[in-house]
Amino acid sequence: MSATAAVPLPRRRFSRDWIVAQLIRRAMLIVMLLVIAFFSYRSLRFSSLDNLQTILIAAAPFALIALGQTLVILTGGIDLSVGSIIAVSAMTGASIAKSNPGQVWMTVGAAMLVGLLAGAINGFLVSRVDVPPFIATLGMLTAGSGVAFVIGDGAPINGLPAEFGTIANTKVLGLQIPVLLMIIGIVGFGIAMRRTAYGMRIYAVGGNRTAAEIAGVNARRTLFSVYAVSGLLAGISGVMLSSRVSSGPPTLGQGYELDAIAAVVIGGASLMGGRGTVWGTALGLLLIQTLNNGLDILLVPAYWQNVIKGVLIVAAVAVDVWSVKRRT
Amino acid sequence: MSTTTEGPVLECHDLEKSFGGVPVLKGVSLSLELGTVTALAGENGAGKSTMMKIASGQYRADSGSVRVRGEELAAGDIRDAHRLGVAIVPQELASIAHMTVYENLFVGRELTTRIGTLDRRAMSRQAAEMLDVFGVDIDPGARMGTLPVGMQQIVEIVKNSSRGAKVLLLDEPSSAISEREVEGLYRVVRQLRDSGVAMVFTTHKMAEIRALADRVVVLRDGGLVLDRPMTEVSDDDIVSAMIGRELEDLFPPLHTVPRDAERVLQVEDVHVVGQPGGCSFEVRRGEILGLAGLVGAGRTELLEGVFGIRATTSGRIVVAGREVRRRSPAAAISAGMAMVPEDRKLSGAIMGLSVLDNGTLPRLAQFSVAGWLRQRARSQSVGKAMESVRLRSRGLGQEVGTLSGGNQQKVVLARWLTEHVDVLLLDEPTRGVDVGARSEIYRIIADLAEAGMAVVMASSDMTEVLGLSHRALVMREGGVVGELDRDDLDRPDVQELIFRLSSGLDPRPDERSAEPGQRAAEPDRQPEEGDA
Repeated sequence: MSATAAVPLPRRRFSRDWIVAQLIRRAMLIVMLLVIAFFSYRSLRFSSLDNLQTILIAAAPFALIALGQTLVILTGGIDLSVGSIIAVSAMTGASIAKSNPGQVWMTVGAAMLVGLLAGAINGFLVSRVDVPPFIATLGMLTAGSGVAFVIGDGAPINGLPAEFGTIANTKVLGLQIPVLLMIIGIVGFGIAMRRTAYGMRIYAVGGNRTAAEIAGVNARRTLFSVYAVSGLLAGISGVMLSSRVSSGPPTLGQGYELDAIAAVVIGGASLMGGRGTVWGTALGLLLIQTLNNGLDILLVPAYWQNVIKGVLIVAAVAVDVWSVKRRT
Repeated sequence: MSTTTEGPVLECHDLEKSFGGVPVLKGVSLSLELGTVTALAGENGAGKSTMMKIASGQYRADSGSVRVRGEELAAGDIRDAHRLGVAIVPQELASIAHMTVYENLFVGRELTTRIGTLDRRAMSRQAAEMLDVFGVDIDPGARMGTLPVGMQQIVEIVKNSSRGAKVLLLDEPSSAISEREVEGLYRVVRQLRDSGVAMVFTTHKMAEIRALADRVVVLRDGGLVLDRPMTEVSDDDIVSAMIGRELEDLFPPLHTVPRDAERVLQVEDVHVVGQPGGCSFEVRRGEILGLAGLVGAGRTELLEGVFGIRATTSGRIVVAGREVRRRSPAAAISAGMAMVPEDRKLSGAIMGLSVLDNGTLPRLAQFSVAGWLRQRARSQSVGKAMESVRLRSRGLGQEVGTLSGGNQQKVVLARWLTEHVDVLLLDEPTRGVDVGARSEIYRIIADLAEAGMAVVMASSDMTEVLGLSHRALVMREGGVVGELDRDDLDRPDVQELIFRLSSGLDPRPDERSAEPGQRAAEPDRQPEEGDA
């Protein structure tokens, strides 16, 4: 494990310190298992295969943007604009699908391109103009949500061709395309972050930009790329979402950026950059989605679900801070 | 200000502390009395700052206790330290740059009017009075950030003493301030001592110890090696206590460079942006070239310019006959240059990454095929490179941040050695490295040079330049003002010569008895006292 261990394991195995360190390190997994055990105990419906699929389908669009967010946060930045990019790409996809009914792939391609473009603008602003990431992507968040309404002339785009609606529901290898994309994304990025030069550059730039530059890393290019990737993934997520609802509501994706950031943070990444993993994000995301689903089944009101999520975010970070502090 | 309480005001008893398994303090005891100034001396990494941070409640000691006037300090509690009258003025000042001087002085205990609003006029007036006592001319309404660092530091000291601190800990008080400001600092310290405050300051500068301290305590590798009144020790005693051996043993014997050795690095009239002067020099294969000069002489800037981290406006840089594109570290690296920057934590290693990842980073291209890292190849090469410098770690997977200073520096050095290097640029190669590892790093540098690298080493540690260079350049204001060959470097008066060149002063007949302020202007001057 490179660049991930928040808590160094004491050398002596099975000592008290070792067990505590193990518990802290695996805290997320342990909480996850407890949550699953609790819901399974309370409801038979929860632990069915059908429900697993429901959870995964709900998780998929979040997973894609959370992956992009992970890369951005690892460089020490933040991408607030992914929710708006979802809206823009969904509206683009919907409007193209409506005017070119047969051209499904062109539709998907155009929506992805729009996402990539928006991400590239973020990347340019952050890496070349040195606008702080928070500001650059806040601008994109605001402007993007405006553009989404402009595309639809202030209204949702409805009456889309049937082919468009089937994209998200087509099954490949027994899995819906969004779920498949999520799995490919998590595994792919998970491996890439640890096994490719690109992944190492991201950790290096986030861990210490100056040092990375002295070692010959082109930090500007690395920064640019993470925002572009984040935008692209948001674009994919947008077209999948709009296909699933078979329409183009301009408010699609609103607030999703916060859920994505929450997943990354619960997954143990540091907002200062340089620390965190794709696996952590995946786990954080699944935890949020499992909670949403389980609480829905138990008929807990949505307001209370938000309260629980809020507590979870803060608790995850508090445990992390505390475990790091224990070292000094 | 009653100084009637006899006996120690602050007692540290048997303090131990380690970071990531590396012991930094190994059972140090220290007691301070009111109205005295104690110098806490030692090399970088000796444990001085850690000691101060424990005494001021910032760190929790692994074992041992701190007592203030007999009352035990709650470990790791800064507020408790404040309550007991212990305050620290850290190296990186804790002042708020955007606020005014008087706001800084009163932050946390603001004066208010009867209706509860801030009484700015009263604060400003009182601030002026407080500063007046020390005879410093600072406008209480000025923004803190606009003052020179030395002045900010004095404001910080005044702030702490005005809040009733009876024990003041100053961490490297003169490290960041100019020669002129040092006198002001000294005056404030003496005045506080006379008013009955107990002070400790960390330093590794001999001149400062002589000028200020009543007593000197020397730490080395986390242990206390000397604790004596100033009147009873000579400079030589202090220096050998700090480095723990005779100076000669610190450096490896230098090989000779053949006269016809290839000029592997040629720097022609390179101007670094922001520096008044330009530089030209050459380094031969196998040669170690020292760069001496005062802080701010432009040594770091020159190295960074040559390596392409910093913009240069003109000039040519040629490595092994081929001109290197300027302003591109990547081009410098592929031309065969390697750089070990001044500040490991700031720009050397990436502390959160493993030894393996840090070792891979400069040669990412060689260690990847179509973007995929070749795990076996990189583990092998990096492992070999780290072995060649005898890195002590728990394996390649260990986070660099958990290594000791000396071992971190070895990583920063050895990560270049996975490929052929022609030119090695070193900026303060042993800063923050403990004495044991220092001589090991010197050994490595000498070996690398002997194996055919051209080495350029900037250092403000005079002994380092004298002990490890075949040739040295003295820099001032971005330009070279003197060149000394090995014979010059062996002359007994060479330090005086370098000092005169680097400060641009007229030659002084009796430099040894110069004003302390002037002496302190020369960074890290301490160790040469021992070899004079």
